[in-house]
Amino acid sequence: MSLELPAAGSPRGVLAIGRSVRRVRPIILPIVTLTAVLLLWQLAAVRLHIPSVLLPTPSDIAQEMWHALPLLVDQAVPTALDTLLAFAAAAVLGIGLAIVITYSRPLRDTLYPNLVFFQLVPKVALAPLFVIWLGYGSPARVAFAAFISFFPVVISAALGFAGTDPAVLRLCRSLTASEWRSFLLVRFPFALPAIFSGFKVAMTMAVVGVIIGEFISSQAGLGHYILRAGSRLETADVFAALVALSVLGVALYGAVALAELGVRRAYGRR
Amino acid sequence: MALLDAISGADAAVPNGRILRLVLLPLGFAAVMIALWQILCQTLQVRPILLPPPSAVWTVLRDNYAILLDQTLPTLSESILGFVVASVLGVAIAVALTSSRWLREALYPGIVMFQLIPKIALAPLFIVWLGVGETTSVVVAVFIAFFPIVVSTATGLVSAKPEVLQLCKSLTASEWQIFRMVRFPYALPYIFAGMKVGVTMVMIGVVVGEFITAQNGLGYIIMFAAGAGETATVLAAIVLLCVIGLGLYGVIGLAELLVLRWFGGEAPISGVI
Amino acid sequence: MSTDKLAPSIEVNGVSKVYRAGTAAAVEAVSTVSFTVPQGQFVAILGPSGCGKSTLLMMVGGLEAVSSGRLIVDGKPMTGPRTSIGVMFQDPTLLPWKSALDNVLFPVRVLKRSIADHRAAANNLLQQVGLDGFEHKRPHELSGGMRQRVAICRTLIYDPDVLLMDEPFSALDAISRDEMNELLLDLWQQFTKTALFVTHSIREAVLLADRVLVMTRRPATIVEDLTVPFARPRSMALGENREFNEICRHLRERIEDGHGRSRAPRAGTTTRRHEAAR
Ligand SMILES: Nc1ncnc2c1ncn2[C@@H]1O[C@H](COP(=O)(O)OP(=O)(O)OP(=O)(O)O)[C@@H](O)[C@H]1O
Ligand SMILES: [Mg+2]
Repeated sequence: MSLELPAAGSPRGVLAIGRSVRRVRPIILPIVTLTAVLLLWQLAAVRLHIPSVLLPTPSDIAQEMWHALPLLVDQAVPTALDTLLAFAAAAVLGIGLAIVITYSRPLRDTLYPNLVFFQLVPKVALAPLFVIWLGYGSPARVAFAAFISFFPVVISAALGFAGTDPAVLRLCRSLTASEWRSFLLVRFPFALPAIFSGFKVAMTMAVVGVIIGEFISSQAGLGHYILRAGSRLETADVFAALVALSVLGVALYGAVALAELGVRRAYGRR
Repeated sequence: MALLDAISGADAAVPNGRILRLVLLPLGFAAVMIALWQILCQTLQVRPILLPPPSAVWTVLRDNYAILLDQTLPTLSESILGFVVASVLGVAIAVALTSSRWLREALYPGIVMFQLIPKIALAPLFIVWLGVGETTSVVVAVFIAFFPIVVSTATGLVSAKPEVLQLCKSLTASEWQIFRMVRFPYALPYIFAGMKVGVTMVMIGVVVGEFITAQNGLGYIIMFAAGAGETATVLAAIVLLCVIGLGLYGVIGLAELLVLRWFGGEAPISGVI
Repeated sequence: MSTDKLAPSIEVNGVSKVYRAGTAAAVEAVSTVSFTVPQGQFVAILGPSGCGKSTLLMMVGGLEAVSSGRLIVDGKPMTGPRTSIGVMFQDPTLLPWKSALDNVLFPVRVLKRSIADHRAAANNLLQQVGLDGFEHKRPHELSGGMRQRVAICRTLIYDPDVLLMDEPFSALDAISRDEMNELLLDLWQQFTKTALFVTHSIREAVLLADRVLVMTRRPATIVEDLTVPFARPRSMALGENREFNEICRHLRERIEDGHGRSRAPRAGTTTRRHEAAR
């Protein structure tokens, strides 16, 4: 076995080992850190007799996850569906409004500052109003989540469309391309990175919106589950649901990132 | 507003037309929308529990300002405290991360991961730990506002031009000198960009904290009034929240403006959000 | 200039540099280069892009370690950066938030010398490079040529004995570049320092330098070591001199030969010219 390794002790061998360690370090180190934190947590909780109401051990949480898995999946489904619906609505409406803003100067001047204003104010405060308007069901949560994730899409997309290289647009005009064609062939691909960075923010905002909606209005969903478990001091349940929610959040974000990769490749790997 | 200029493009030559376009048009639009809201509420006889007219919101603000102000103060102090703690903590951790390669490689992926998960969902956990009170709102706010500040600051701290760093090395500058004289000033615009995101996050954290701890503050007023069907009060509280949010954002924006002016015209990033 | 009487300032003895040594991606940037620069001599280095000129300069400045060979500056082997060596880059690398004057004083701050003692000298330098009245302007208010002048002053303020310049004027337009050359000729009348000056312009090299080294394509070795015979003070008018143009033509040929040598048999001349132009 040792024959396969570069001779230890010889400077080249040591160098080679050092190099391969350096290459995998960025992958290994975070995993090692995570493991160390979990181990420390487990040890501290057991040794210091921290009550599990305050801080359940990682093994408690894992056990809870295993037992409650069907329940968690059940709760994750409405949360995921609401989030996806809200995101889709925000994406379509946001891009639509961004196009309108890009092509109409008066509308742009009128609407854009108001959009920025709305981007800055704490929109979450409006959550209870959506409940008043749309009741305690899923429509209120979807509408609220769409409402808060809509603004990042409009603003990034509008910026992306406006940031198109003016020389290329001039080239299109010199080729007598129609507005629509130059939008399709130039503005849209130019704006893709900006649009997708808006989408990524929007997806995280949509999850946040749905969770807040579930906090204040719901009888189902992971947000509701977390709040209920918290109020019953079933802290391990809270953690299990948080893990599930994190997985959901990362998966949804990953879906957007993957879509971006696909679209960019379709447009020739920009 | 740099973004607006970028979008609306040229013709800076007509200052009067510009002011009209950039200030009066959006304000006029907002005024028209509010007027329309008032007229529609009156002519269509919309039930005030669904949508009270602006005049009703104004009445609430005028008649109950003492109570509202009482509830505004805790929200304001929670927001400021949350923002200050998040900023100090965020910048400090970013400095630690960028000063050690090992720390960076060990912790940065986790921090980026944390950016992606809905941290607001941890709010009930903080109630378990800290009980229902102002501390919980502040901690929730710090917790969600701190990540964007770390990421932005860390990006800024490694953004100094490599040639400038080489110049410093050729002058035999110490790491501390390089940090103080070059890295930190270069990072300032990024720090402000992070703090601007942080300010909006702090407001979300404080409001959600008050929603679910239900002790005091504007978030509590909103939940309470919404439960009682007093929608005009909800809207009045929202107006006050907007004032706090914009006020804080304005202070950061102003500080940023001064710093960027000091920084000179070559500020590496700019923008509203 | 009778070079051999003066003590050597820079001794480069069989120096090589291999980036990422030992890996599959190893790049030998400089290969057993040797030359000696006496004190006070201005040496220009010419060579095709990517041949390792910057690498060589960074090694002399102590900013890159040598892979093998010996590198001695002012009698001491190089182990790291030294304050007796000043470096100038293609980019002026000014700090955008500091005024021209404060940028010039930046090394004084770093070296913890007295600002008050150097303020007059800094103003003096700025005046000499034609920037009086611009002391309190910040980089974004200055033109590219003005910024590079500030960078020159910044290098001169702490009075290093050796100057290393890596294509300091190649980002400038042709007219500013001529002005900078003239300025450097002027400054050289007062500050006689040892200098290594990397450039892509043959005429600039011959105009400014006492001696021109020509390097080959990577890994760089020296194929020509030419002493420029013109006495100082020189002026831009030298460019019309017949001998000047002869020297330039000779150097151009040597650079093209250098290409041919490391690229196997001599193919069509046009391709080689084309590569030289890149
Ligand atoms: N840090 C590095 N790591 C790996 N390779 C490098 C590094 N720096 C330079 N090289 C390689 O070394 C070679 C020489 O680079 P160098 O910058 O010294 O060339 P140069 O002669 O200054 O080129 P130019 O005229 O374009 O400035 C190049 O092939 C380059 O790719
Ligand atoms: Mg170079």
